Amino acid sequence: MDKGYIENGFIVDVSNASKTSEIIYELSRILDLPDAQSKKVCLKLGSVDLTPTELTSIKALVESMNSEIEFISTSSKSTIKSAEELEIKVSILENKVPLPEFNADQEKVNKELEKALDKIFGEEGSDIQTFAQDENLKNLKNDYSKEEIEEIANIKPETITPENQMETFDSSEFKASTKEVEQPEISQNLENELNDFNSELESANKIDGEEIEEIDFNLDDLRKSLRETEKLPTLYIQRTLRSGQSITSEGNIVIIGDVNPGSEVIAKGDITVWGVLGGIAHAGSAGNQYARIRALKMNAIQLRIADVFARRPDSINIPYIQKTDTFIPEEACVRRKQIIIHKMHES
Amino acid sequence: MSGRVIVITSGKGGVGKTTTNANIGTALARAGKKVVMIDTDLGLRNLDLLLGLENRIVYTIVDVVEERCKLKQALVKDKKNPNLCLLAAAQTRDKTAVTEEQLKDICETLKKDFDFILVDCPAGIEQGFQNAVAGASEAIVVTTPEMSAVRDADRIIGLLEAKEEIKSYKLLLNRVRPNLIQSNDMMSVDDVVEILSAELIGIIPEDTGIITSTNKGEPIVNDEKSLAGKAYNNVARRIIGEDVPFLDLDEPKGVMAKVKKFFSGIMGKEK
Repeated sequence: MDKGYIENGFIVDVSNASKTSEIIYELSRILDLPDAQSKKVCLKLGSVDLTPTELTSIKALVESMNSEIEFISTSSKSTIKSAEELEIKVSILENKVPLPEFNADQEKVNKELEKALDKIFGEEGSDIQTFAQDENLKNLKNDYSKEEIEEIANIKPETITPENQMETFDSSEFKASTKEVEQPEISQNLENELNDFNSELESANKIDGEEIEEIDFNLDDLRKSLRETEKLPTLYIQRTLRSGQSITSEGNIVIIGDVNPGSEVIAKGDITVWGVLGGIAHAGSAGNQYARIRALKMNAIQLRIADVFARRPDSINIPYIQKTDTFIPEEACVRRKQIIIHKMHES
Repeated sequence: MSGRVIVITSGKGGVGKTTTNANIGTALARAGKKVVMIDTDLGLRNLDLLLGLENRIVYTIVDVVEERCKLKQALVKDKKNPNLCLLAAAQTRDKTAVTEEQLKDICETLKKDFDFILVDCPAGIEQGFQNAVAGASEAIVVTTPEMSAVRDADRIIGLLEAKEEIKSYKLLLNRVRPNLIQSNDMMSVDDVVEILSAELIGIIPEDTGIITSTNKGEPIVNDEKSLAGKAYNNVARRIIGEDVPFLDLDEPKGVMAKVKKFFSGIMGKEK
């Protein structure tokens, strides 16, 4: 296992749930996704009190989906007791280095998270459509740069879901690094039960923690970068890029059409694809880490922004899946030396 | 360590060069050998897809040749088997981006660290073929029991014999359908061997599992139950030097097949 990288696993956040039934409902919806099956699950439970019986049924639910619970995190003492009885590992996941914006309005962020999860896991397609339409309207406004700044500032690591999570790796050594920017703190009574998994996660995050100080994004820099990106020339292409074709630009690139697997788009500025992005996209190729890649459907084999790389998870690495009816515009940008993808919606 | 450089070629396209390469490479690596596969099909690369490594390619053979990266950086490790590496072809360039000399140098360098270097050759007999063959000392000619494929294989064997560097070449017969051979609708293995007068290294039966495995990016040798997978495993063992008998493909499998054979026997007698 590579450092701090939850191999074949992901974190499920059901801390907003106030009842056991809600947890089970949420969990079964998330676990039912094809990408979520046969994986390790780290469960965030929040403050709900769970009896051993209830916890057993949650465990059985996870196991029925061929997944297993790696560990849970909870703030309820009775849940910790129940977990001890069932020999489930407990740890407290906390964001040690939150962006200032997160602290200012925690409740708002939670609501957004809920909204984001609803949109991602919502079963009704109509929901997604309205949100896409709203987005189109908003894009017509002139003062989008300010909106975009807010939008970026409000992204929380948890909004990365298994669906759009990319495995990132170092540009120099291609080593997988942390997926989640979360700092685990092991609860006192379980300190002696520290296993490899947790210690590795911790040590990897420490390294990350040091770096974050320097690279954490700066609003002034971001604004400056947005202005500069606006001034760059933009290459406008109205056709589909096919395998083997490559487009390089000193400025921004806008493609009205698909970018098929096997093709590549390299730009010093931003890349916008009005279609399915299935190939390789490299934005900010001269080193601008504020560059962004947008697509109606993000299915890229690799994303590169400045010197940060991310590749498509192997679980969805099936060459022929690329066309769908539902288009959810997504945007990739760099946060803490990792590429994250988020839906293009307003907070 | 001095590795063996084996080029896998065919002349005709679509006979299964790349599939053969991916499967033999995986089988050799599973047998504990250190294997590197080189895709020389510039502009039409597929080997990475078959291995499911497409999303890991950062540098390609052209980047190595044009010195944008070191050879070691361009080697993509397999997901499952650390003994297996891939040197991918560039998708956005053409055959002229690499020369014979450069490929020879790459093979020589890789020989030091690997037991086997498998070179995936593009279809045709032009520059791409010449490049692929340049560094190799052994060849596997893939063909199917069809006249056009056999004819092209014959041409390729002629070209290989003219090359001094190629010390030996073996024949691999792909997509064999025993039931068609039985009903005299397909050239038999013996027919092909007789026409080409080359030593056989493997007979691979037609297997629909190949399609699934290609789409999944998972070589079929990883599937213990598949007949084609077994056949490819046997080819790998023969390459290592073991004496493995050829699979008996004629044996009908299952009750239905036996019943069918029985009845067709009776019908034949009646006529």
